[in-house]
Amino acid sequence: MNTHLHKSLCFVVAAMVSVFSVPCLLALAEGPESLTSIRDATAKPDIVVYPEEIKLGSARDFQSFVAVLRRDDGITEDASERIDWSIADPSKARREGFVLFPVADGQTELVAKYAGSEVRIPIVVSGATLRPDVSFTKDVMPVLTRSGCNTGSCHGAARGKDGFRLSLFGFDPDGDYFRVTREIGFRRINLAIPEESLFLKKAIGAVPHTGGKLFNPASDYYATILEWLQKGGNGDAADARPPTVASLAIFPPQAVIEGEGAKQRFVAVATYSDGTTRDVTRLAAFNSNNSGTAAIDDIGVVTAGRRGEAFVMARFDTHTVGSQVLALPNDLEYSAPPIEGDTIDTLVGKKLQQLRILPSGRCSDKEFLRRVTIDITGLLPTEDEYAKFIADTAADKRAAVINQLLERKEFSEIWAMKFAQLLMIKSTNQVSYKSAFLYANWLTDKFARNVPIDQMVRELLTSTGGTFASPATNFYEIEPDTLKTAENVAQVFMGIRTQCAQCHNHPFDRWTQNDYYGFASFFSQVGRKQAEDYREKIVFNRFSGEVKHPLSGKPLPPKFLGGEAPNTKGKDRREVVANWLTSPDNEFFAPSVANRVWAHFMGVGIVDQVDDIRVSNPPSNPELFDVLGKKLVEYKFDLRSLVRDICNSEAYQRSSQPNESNVHDTRNYAYAVVRRIPAENLLDCLCQVTDSADKFRGLPLGATAVQIADGATSNYFLDAFGRSPRATVCECEASTAPSLSQALHLLNGNSVSNKINQGKVLQRWVRDEKLSKEQVIDRIYVRCMSRQPTSDEKQELIGSVPDQGDPLPALTDIFWAVLNSREFAFNH
Amino acid sequence: MRCYGNPLSRRGFLAAGTLGGLGLTLPELLMRQAVAEQKQYDFVEAKAKSVIHIFLPGGLAQQESFDPKPYSPLEYRGELRTIKTNTGEEFCETVPQLAKRADKFSIIRSMSHGEAAHERGVHNMFTGYKPSPALRYPSFGSVVSHEYGPRNNLPPYICIPNVPNEFAGTGYLPSSFGAFSLGADPTRDDFKVRDLDLAGGVDQERFVQRKNALEIVNRHFVSTSAADNVQAMNTFYQRAYDLLDTPAAKEAFDISKEDAKMRDRYGRNQAGQRMLMARRLVEAGSRLVTLTYGSWDMHTDITASIRGQMPALDVALSTLLDDLSERGLLDETLVMLTSEFGRTPKINADAGRDHWPKVFSVMLAGGGIKGGMIHGASDSTSSEPEENAVSPADLATTMYRLLGIVADKELMAPGDRPIEIVDGGKLIEPLMV
Repeated sequence: MNTHLHKSLCFVVAAMVSVFSVPCLLALAEGPESLTSIRDATAKPDIVVYPEEIKLGSARDFQSFVAVLRRDDGITEDASERIDWSIADPSKARREGFVLFPVADGQTELVAKYAGSEVRIPIVVSGATLRPDVSFTKDVMPVLTRSGCNTGSCHGAARGKDGFRLSLFGFDPDGDYFRVTREIGFRRINLAIPEESLFLKKAIGAVPHTGGKLFNPASDYYATILEWLQKGGNGDAADARPPTVASLAIFPPQAVIEGEGAKQRFVAVATYSDGTTRDVTRLAAFNSNNSGTAAIDDIGVVTAGRRGEAFVMARFDTHTVGSQVLALPNDLEYSAPPIEGDTIDTLVGKKLQQLRILPSGRCSDKEFLRRVTIDITGLLPTEDEYAKFIADTAADKRAAVINQLLERKEFSEIWAMKFAQLLMIKSTNQVSYKSAFLYANWLTDKFARNVPIDQMVRELLTSTGGTFASPATNFYEIEPDTLKTAENVAQVFMGIRTQCAQCHNHPFDRWTQNDYYGFASFFSQVGRKQAEDYREKIVFNRFSGEVKHPLSGKPLPPKFLGGEAPNTKGKDRREVVANWLTSPDNEFFAPSVANRVWAHFMGVGIVDQVDDIRVSNPPSNPELFDVLGKKLVEYKFDLRSLVRDICNSEAYQRSSQPNESNVHDTRNYAYAVVRRIPAENLLDCLCQVTDSADKFRGLPLGATAVQIADGATSNYFLDAFGRSPRATVCECEASTAPSLSQALHLLNGNSVSNKINQGKVLQRWVRDEKLSKEQVIDRIYVRCMSRQPTSDEKQELIGSVPDQGDPLPALTDIFWAVLNSREFAFNH
Repeated sequence: MRCYGNPLSRRGFLAAGTLGGLGLTLPELLMRQAVAEQKQYDFVEAKAKSVIHIFLPGGLAQQESFDPKPYSPLEYRGELRTIKTNTGEEFCETVPQLAKRADKFSIIRSMSHGEAAHERGVHNMFTGYKPSPALRYPSFGSVVSHEYGPRNNLPPYICIPNVPNEFAGTGYLPSSFGAFSLGADPTRDDFKVRDLDLAGGVDQERFVQRKNALEIVNRHFVSTSAADNVQAMNTFYQRAYDLLDTPAAKEAFDISKEDAKMRDRYGRNQAGQRMLMARRLVEAGSRLVTLTYGSWDMHTDITASIRGQMPALDVALSTLLDDLSERGLLDETLVMLTSEFGRTPKINADAGRDHWPKVFSVMLAGGGIKGGMIHGASDSTSSEPEENAVSPADLATTMYRLLGIVADKELMAPGDRPIEIVDGGKLIEPLMV
């Protein structure tokens, strides 16, 4: 579904921009009236009708449709009402409003005419005289889900509600069939007088029902259940299972609505495993992730609210799909800037244009140097680097400095640290310090030697041997539980949280219990035994051991998440899953890793949080999300090449000053996000500028906080500034939120005061190098903030330094003030 | 910053647009509007000046604490017996000290929500909202901090020893309303809240000079950066200055100033010293102190686990109530004991109980709460609320009201999006004085 949706989006965007960027610029110079006339003179209206083909498969079948008018300024309008509809051959199908019904088998077309445009949608009718029986699984279950009967707060709760239990969101149709028809005798259904069934009377509120009235007797929902009961209330025979839902789609795939209160109707279509389709607009559950911008009602009509973007979703069966909706105010004054640059900038630019947002300008060279040095190396540019860069007049000096920085070892150290956090590398009662240390070194070595990340992950997941001799095996020691291991692999390397599906189908995503246990099954054969050294364990493949499904109690064969069930006979299952995971074709691995890299440099992920990628938490820029993943594959999983592209983009090099049009936007990279420097990096910067090193356990004096191998090693500074405690695989473990403790620590704590005294930087400058106080202030500024003080700043600061006597105390205070300043602690 | 009580709010303008057709003149409309706003943001008297929120992470078993089921079968009631309280009710035998003081506090036996996963349950009990994929809600402490700000220069919202979970944060509110965490456990002998004294060799005069220099260095960047995190850091620096200038506030953090006998009374353990610390802080002016104690996720051998952890809680909480009473602070301090959910009606195969959000118990005392009440009831096996079910929104609404905050007041989320502090909560009036 994902690829399908993305393709449609690509198509819409491409079409929109091509018709819109040039004529619109031209037209705006002359005012809106001439814009209309140009439009009328040059083009017929661009009409799209969804779904793009219609199949009617039985006398019961019907299909609703919707037409969208795409204006050349990118706005879409629901044009269903305005269109002149007809059916090419009325003997095959008939139309009621915006719904088609079958008449006789054959083919015809739905014809939409509007202001000179004509769109024809093929209709295939088959089985027009057949009326298949109502199926419990295919027809009754969706009514229960749609009516909310099986939600967690009603009968879907683990122990049911008021004595009646259904499986949460219908993950267990057989169990539900049993409970509806057989539990407590025949209490719930009455086959002699179907209308008297408690099952129905509760739902229509004819008898007291805690959940109230869910539908009325005139509804199609009631009719479905009644007909099922009238025909005997049969279950689906084991040899005649109804087809399963293969995919779900929601149309239109994107809407750009203008003006509060404007509406757009959506249509949801399910495709079954036998190739038939079904209109599920009245059976799917709709919701919006931002109802203030785009509220959606239960028949799929979206109403635009305040300006912004939202994602409206339809859930049917175990599938959830969504459409992006942008809401723009009426009569917005906006002139589109040209979209140029490489792929990243083109895609970011297109999105900003859709939102009618202007990007901020380019940041200054000084800002750029500081920003990129902190992001790539975790340190500040030295005074020499600063001077050299500012003096450089080459046009491509930014690209050159990016290349230089990427060669530095600090780059690989930062990424080794980030993965050490995700892999929870830390000594505990179970994992010895030596194991943790060796494991961290193994990881650092991989990044230092630029081993492609896919290869590193394969080595990690398939590791075998002693936790000392083969340190990657610690992956299976730090988390010994099979289910958790599978969850962690999904979260760290695919950005997917599967935890919900352990107990029931995921309510906000596509993952079912079968997916969960099938994936866990890849890790069920990991064996562990004691090595000679009491601190060492040996991890090996047992070639036996299964994961059982909690409902059936039967072992589930290994199955890729969202993929097939491979043959693992005689193989190390971990090898099979590692190869699948790191394959360039894997739809999760590369994009999720690329998104983590992007978020590190841009302050916010395209999917945010970076490890919560799900249908209901879509990327802010789907095409960019895909493109970054493709780039990483194209670069053979070399992080440096991807970082080079990101840092060279205009999106990265923008000023951190928002403008009037983009100040409220936080997700579309219209300006650089101001970020507090992460704990480890901030401490390293502090050590760097004060020339005063810290000592961490197991590392030589002068080692940086980024190099800390064992997650159990910390100090107060790192804890107060939100270093990751490495307790879970969540990216959110590391925090950069400011706090009162941080302010107090910088003001009074030993980190700033002691380091200034220990490093003796000022003493050297004043006593050995005999610098004047102006020179000292200049150098403090350049060293810490990569800029010269302004003349005002300099003048005011110098006033506090006595002309006579020792200038050191006053200069120390200035140094202290700079290290306490917001400009120092933030990357901007 | 928007002014919240302004009758010409964004919604007000919208209403003016739509009502125009009804022939109302603008002054008339404004008057009605103002009345409506006033009603909504009615001034309410604060009964409580501060809150001590004791949170028991993991999920406290209602059966093994305040809601035993002695007449249910053994696999439901568990191994522990009951004890009569001084009000004639029955508690589990694990809380003898509290049972002697049952007239001082009230129990809600019908707390109920639908989230059986720890993090989602915790979210409910720290924000009063169900978790939402689209919006992060602020915790109680952050809202109180937002509404009232500091008193006597003490941080308005303090966590002992650390911020207990990710939902105890500021949500959509600016990060400057975040908690101050002690950063160390007051149980430890070497306990000290760090960085409250000026660095060595820096006297008050020199500190002032340093502050001046910092002012000069900051001006350029701060005046041009509107980023929330930068502004929050500014606020925290200002708070730090205020705190450092107030000896009484600083002293509140120094638990060694407390009489050794009093420390013994509370118990020299996590429960005792954290509660004592909390009392010092609210006494000095902090508005909401959150502390955690123990680990209550008792999936195995619940009898032994409860016997291990409950005594310290029983003694410490009883002492806290006595101590607050003796100091005349109980009437103005709301003590709230909560957990993310309760535990299953039936003992499981490992002699433990699993997660159960359908019904569980919460204790409230002081700050405008009546003593000796039992509110609501669970059914015979503690599976469902039998009467007067209380939702997290109801509890939050009541807590805010006692603090003088009207919970349906709207705060501004990013994008000029008004969000009620609590959505649709009802006051638990029978418990309110």
